[in-house]
Amino acid sequence: MKRVSFYYSTKLTFDDYVHNHSFALRIIPPDTETQKILSCDLNITPYVSVQQTVDAFGNNVTAGYLKGDHRFLDFEIKGTAEADSSKHRTDYMPCYLYQSRYTQPDDKLTAFYSGIKQGCTGTVKDRAEGFCDMLSERLIYEKGFTDTETTAEEAFSVGRGVCQDFSHILISLLRMDGIAARYIAGLAFCDGETHSWVEYWTGDHWEGIDPANNCPVNDDYIVLSQGRDFRDCAVDRGVMFGRHTKQLQLVRSVLT
Amino acid sequence: MELTNKEYYMHAVGNADEINELLRRYGVKFGIYKNGVFNEQFFPFDPIPRVITAEDFNGIEKGLVQRVNALNEFLFDIYHGKKIVRDGIIPEDFIYISKGYLAECEGVTPKNKVYSHISGIDLVQAKDGEWYILEDNLRIPSGASYPLIARELTRIAAPQAFSENSIVDNRGYAELLKETMEYSNCGGIRAILTPGRYNAAYFEHSYLAEHTGSVLVQSDELFVEDNILYHRTYSGGKTRIGVLYRRISDEYLDPLTFCHESLIGIPNLMEAYRSGNVGIVNAPGNGVADDKGIYYFVPKMIKYYLGEEPILKNAPTYLPFYEEDMKYVMDNLDRLVIKDVAEAGGYGVVFGSDLTKEKLEQFRRTITAEPRRFIAQEVIDFLDLPILDNGETVMRKADLRAFVLTGEKTKVWASGLTRFSRNPDSFVVNSSQGGGFKDTWVLSR
Repeated sequence: MKRVSFYYSTKLTFDDYVHNHSFALRIIPPDTETQKILSCDLNITPYVSVQQTVDAFGNNVTAGYLKGDHRFLDFEIKGTAEADSSKHRTDYMPCYLYQSRYTQPDDKLTAFYSGIKQGCTGTVKDRAEGFCDMLSERLIYEKGFTDTETTAEEAFSVGRGVCQDFSHILISLLRMDGIAARYIAGLAFCDGETHSWVEYWTGDHWEGIDPANNCPVNDDYIVLSQGRDFRDCAVDRGVMFGRHTKQLQLVRSVLT
Repeated sequence: MELTNKEYYMHAVGNADEINELLRRYGVKFGIYKNGVFNEQFFPFDPIPRVITAEDFNGIEKGLVQRVNALNEFLFDIYHGKKIVRDGIIPEDFIYISKGYLAECEGVTPKNKVYSHISGIDLVQAKDGEWYILEDNLRIPSGASYPLIARELTRIAAPQAFSENSIVDNRGYAELLKETMEYSNCGGIRAILTPGRYNAAYFEHSYLAEHTGSVLVQSDELFVEDNILYHRTYSGGKTRIGVLYRRISDEYLDPLTFCHESLIGIPNLMEAYRSGNVGIVNAPGNGVADDKGIYYFVPKMIKYYLGEEPILKNAPTYLPFYEEDMKYVMDNLDRLVIKDVAEAGGYGVVFGSDLTKEKLEQFRRTITAEPRRFIAQEVIDFLDLPILDNGETVMRKADLRAFVLTGEKTKVWASGLTRFSRNPDSFVVNSSQGGGFKDTWVLSR
């Protein structure tokens, strides 16, 4: 068990005024068996009234609507939590056993799975760790080759990617192997942005694994959201009107 | 047919051209896309009604109420405890591979637990008089307005037919729909959401809005603020919507939840819905229950949830997913009808008897490779109905779409849409495949 402080902020700036801006944020960490949220403050500017709900995957959703003209939207969370990776979450959903939009494998990824599955046997944990090892040998961590829209098969074919891509490919491999797996978006030590990792279902609880760093998840991780893949977990999504052509996004995260 | 008044025929048949002209003038059309081109077509009306006796209707009614109640129980179960899967009645795969299953709807409970408010159940009557269910449409079944308006016009063209026969009045549909919408109203006005005039059923959307006293809206007129759905008024104000009868499909409902690339839809509608601030008619996620693969399991659902024997039969159906069924399908492919579970509107329906030897072989391989994608059914020898073709009466295949509405109680509208195939060799009656429609008379005695 470890007590951690977390901070996360996003500054969205538009190059012209926007209005009728609807947004949904998934940035308030859920209070779970593995993380007790002691405090969490959310600040959004410009001022807007927001509503909190919990979505189908157990994520805290903050929804808002900015009607008038504005050129920026900033939001940040600040808080403290007790992380305890020795405890286990058990919020299983059968949909995690099936491939989803971002994890659907193509022939190349399926062939990769067929080639390595002989070497990845044993318990669910053994297999998951085996796939993670194989993946870290195959995929190079490098920014700039993929973006948030990149699917597992695309990243695999490029051979390079970031934490999101490692997660999608590992989830795809696990699901091909009949292991339920989910995508996690969250904060971790050493990262300046949001991090992503994977949880697999052992048969009676979730176990975390960080494929980008090829290591198990410990108390240095705070979950913000979980889902079938990135689509269910985006920190912020919005729809707005206006003549803007660009938006600039600055993200900062700190975990201490 | 002896039940129909001869005089009606004389008048209605004599006035068929006039009625079709009136329908044309009223704008009773449907639109279809073919090769990327939008065409609005006239939906041809045939003046000879289908007549259903009171006794026959009574059986259909009981069977449909039972079926729709079971389907509603199923939808609640699938998005909550999933008992039917845990108890081994339906294999898990059939739920989660179905395109209609939406994980985003897990745990959401619509007001009063009604998921399928308006169900369009397609039936056929076999030559021996027995009715069979062909498919369930629980997402956005269309077509109720056609028999309504046709009846309105035949009343004008041949009023005696209705004074001399004991035909159940079908003009109560709008009232029934209004009652159904009100039962799911979470506080506010009623609205019907249309994708716009380029939609196949735009005529119907405006017709139903007018007759139920609902506002006809498009998604850019709506917004969600503080998890409440509002209609933006012309004066710049806002009116709260309590129930939304949407005629757009699930994936375009809310771009922040479903199709993120979509330019249509209402951002955060799902948050308002989940919070119980607006009713959505029909509920998102219903596609899991009207999937052609799930159809096979509906009689089992009726036994499981209601503890009753199904009153109406399914057409004999085989799932290549099961080994035994696969063998049967392979051996009898040349006389079965094969349906692609992912397709709708009469597309993806293949009759084995129409296929050449090579095509049959090719199809066997496709089914073997993707067993979950297809269902196979016996071809039912359905009862032909008379239609008028250039002044001659000819016999054609026809089905019946019954409309079943669930509010406080589940009720069957005593009418329905009878569609027929104009092609003498075809069993496919969908409007998008060039069929026509006729009025459906339910007799009161």
